Amino acid sequence: MGSKFNKELQTLVGDKIISPELADKIGQYYATKDAGKPNKLFMIFGIFGALLVGSGIILMLAHNWDDFSRLTKTILAFGPLLLGQIFAGFSILKNKSATWKEASGTFLFFAVGACMALVSQIYNIPGELGSFLLTWIVLCLPLVYLLRSHAVALLTILLSTYYAVEVGLWNYRNTETPWLYIAFIGAVLPYYYTLITKHTTSNTVTIFTWIFPASIAIALSAFIGRSEDLGFVMYITMFGFLYSIGRLPVFKELRTLRNGFLIIGSLGTIVSLMIFTFRWIWDELPETFNYDTQELYTAVVVSLLSISVLGYTVIRKGIRAVNLFQVAFVVFGLVYFLLPDTGILPVVLMNALVFALGMSAIKIGADKVNFGILNYGLLIISILIICRFFDTGMSFVVRGILFVMVGAGFFLTNYIMLKKQQRVK
Amino acid sequence: MKPIYFIVFIVLAVVQIGTPLKMIFDNEDILISGTAYKFKTRPIDPTDPFRGKYITLQFEMNSFKTSDTTYVYGDEVRVYIENDQEGFAKVVRVSREPLDIDGDYVMAKVTNTYSDEILFELPFDRFYMEETKAYDAEKAYREVNRNAQEEDVYAVVYVKDGASVLDDVIIAGLPIQEYVE
Repeated sequence: MGSKFNKELQTLVGDKIISPELADKIGQYYATKDAGKPNKLFMIFGIFGALLVGSGIILMLAHNWDDFSRLTKTILAFGPLLLGQIFAGFSILKNKSATWKEASGTFLFFAVGACMALVSQIYNIPGELGSFLLTWIVLCLPLVYLLRSHAVALLTILLSTYYAVEVGLWNYRNTETPWLYIAFIGAVLPYYYTLITKHTTSNTVTIFTWIFPASIAIALSAFIGRSEDLGFVMYITMFGFLYSIGRLPVFKELRTLRNGFLIIGSLGTIVSLMIFTFRWIWDELPETFNYDTQELYTAVVVSLLSISVLGYTVIRKGIRAVNLFQVAFVVFGLVYFLLPDTGILPVVLMNALVFALGMSAIKIGADKVNFGILNYGLLIISILIICRFFDTGMSFVVRGILFVMVGAGFFLTNYIMLKKQQRVK
Repeated sequence: MKPIYFIVFIVLAVVQIGTPLKMIFDNEDILISGTAYKFKTRPIDPTDPFRGKYITLQFEMNSFKTSDTTYVYGDEVRVYIENDQEGFAKVVRVSREPLDIDGDYVMAKVTNTYSDEILFELPFDRFYMEETKAYDAEKAYREVNRNAQEEDVYAVVYVKDGASVLDDVIIAGLPIQEYVE
């Protein structure tokens, strides 16, 4: 037990709130309660140690030692790999603690990459960075399940994201799409799922719940090829998907700030839709749609996924459980594909949609008595109004009045909420 | 912990060791039993985040005159080679399908096409250098180039059955590591 906790107990005894006997009892209770658990701090240091040593080895090998013969270099390449395998194998065989498994897994992860990198150096193997990353991920993915290692699972997600972006975005000579990224993420998903169901409120789950949607949001850009206008459709649909996932019952006990799916989905939806409240973007869209593109198929697949998650929510909890953020992408899709050439109409509809989203956020905030969500809704509406100042010819008087009204709205709603909160208490 | 985990881990460990070993065997095989060719080059100096400093080589042999207009960007082609009078590699034929002719070939990627010519990129374009030497190597190349001694720079490449291993880069008769020292 922490020394801070013991100090608090002493203070309580000193102030005669509890008796010394009770303080001893409480101290003993917590000491025995935590006895069986692995030391968290020790585990974190273990992972960081392995992380630093592992990446240090890669850097040292990347120096390319000219003075070493081919054989010496080869032995050096396999040394860390064998060492990592012995440690990992030992942890599995003896069923060592989570600290052992995390640290040996992290080290082995880097040793595999270092070994392949050094062999590539020795023989000047040209290979694209993408295929190097691919082999590395495939060789280390099973470690996630064999060692039940959070660190290896995180490294796999990060490396897969790097792979997707490298293959689909940065490598300008290639027009490949990193389909295998989906397989990698899919492979880590069951691990994540057991993690959520077992320890919903742990910090580990929070990290994964942010890393997963962030990785998906980054990697999606690698799936956009030449039809860039459809990229927006893909992104808005994907943000709707992430938001719907964030509202699934498994995340119910998670606080809003810990729910990366919900926040990334919501912010992403607002930012992308905000772009479509401007008139110029609708004028920039191509006159005719090319319906036979990879982007369209990807968007259709993502839509089907989002709609099925949405359908699941409706069946489980009824239509009333669905909020506007979950269906915004459907509204956008309908307007985008059915009404693109109808002049000002789509622009008006998009403004109305963003406004409605702001209002619904205010309502959610008010219902939950959550100041964060309430002000988020107000912020959406304010930004919408500020954006409209750029492209409308309103007089300064009208603009001024609008600003004053929005400011007053901020004060008023927060004040009403505060009163409501006090009444509840 | 179930014993199956350990068994699966042993299999994984063997694959983890086997993958780089396979890379070594493939390359050693070409170095031992392949044929050496010299390719005239022009190096520059970038970095790979994991594998360190290397010089990228560009080869003078990068095009082939052909009336075939069906080639497109990104095509994988076989470039059949032989030695010219000065002992440097030159193109004999370029083809997508294997040809029934004697002689070695290397794989290449089509990078551009014109009505009577295709440009291609050879696969062995990376030569890893010790990080302190990569910059000097680039400088050395510029020096050699300024003195119009371009014919002195070439890469030694071993070729066997379409696979190739870049063994060394030679400037003015010396391996590039020794030349920059």
